[in-house]
Amino acid sequence: MESMVSLGIIAVMAIGGALISVSNKNILHAIFGLGLSLVGIAGLFLYLGSPFVAVMEILIYVGGITITMIFAVMLTSMTLSREKRSISRWLFAAVPALIFFAVMAYFIYGQFGVAGSNEVIPVSTSAWSIERIGELLLTRFNLVFETLSVVLLLAIVGAIVIARKERQQ
Amino acid sequence: MSIHLHFFLLLSLLIFTIGIYGVLIRRNLIGILIGVELMLNAASLNFLAFNRYVVTDPAVGQIIVLFIIGLAAAEAAILLSIILRVYRSHRNIDADSLTEMRGR
Repeated sequence: MESMVSLGIIAVMAIGGALISVSNKNILHAIFGLGLSLVGIAGLFLYLGSPFVAVMEILIYVGGITITMIFAVMLTSMTLSREKRSISRWLFAAVPALIFFAVMAYFIYGQFGVAGSNEVIPVSTSAWSIERIGELLLTRFNLVFETLSVVLLLAIVGAIVIARKERQQ
Repeated sequence: MSIHLHFFLLLSLLIFTIGIYGVLIRRNLIGILIGVELMLNAASLNFLAFNRYVVTDPAVGQIIVLFIIGLAAAEAAILLSIILRVYRSHRNIDADSLTEMRGR
């Protein structure tokens, strides 16, 4: 019962933070809403039985990406977006989102709602452990792992090259 | 009473829908980036939910989610540096008023 209550609180955090992050006019408050939503999603990861991924989510997203976004907002000083919400623009955004939601919800209930597999795989097996993840990262997924490290290196170099101030000749 | 798979599927679908709405309604480039991050997180939540309920080897889904997180970090770094560069040349990061991508 307590787990149900905590799961509900976490889900409300994730959804509410996402709503704040898309609806708030102040872009800094929107970023804080994104951080709240990411903490909620990390809690959902914890509930789904992978604490390592939850810790990585908090470390990289909440501690890294959100702070970097705040840096970008501070450097560009575009805190208050002066966007006027016209009804046609709102329709242009809401109608495709609602259509997508309706279609996907239909498929989810058609596929997994009635006869889907609802058995939970027990968490305490060795397959969920960090050792197993590390072993797979260095054996079976080694190529993807190395490719991701090259991608991150390129992202760092590319970000420096793009954002660098050019010297005056 | 136990939690079923479609609870997590609907939750991630809701977050993904909010992300689509945010990408479409924002004019600020950072707001668009926030929407993209929400969609990526919904995808990783979906991966872990299927990982918990369906797949027989649970480590694979976690590794995929780790890759998604790494790619999102790279994407955010590149996009934020582009935002800085655009702001420096245009004094503006509204997506509607940036109709030219010609530098300086």
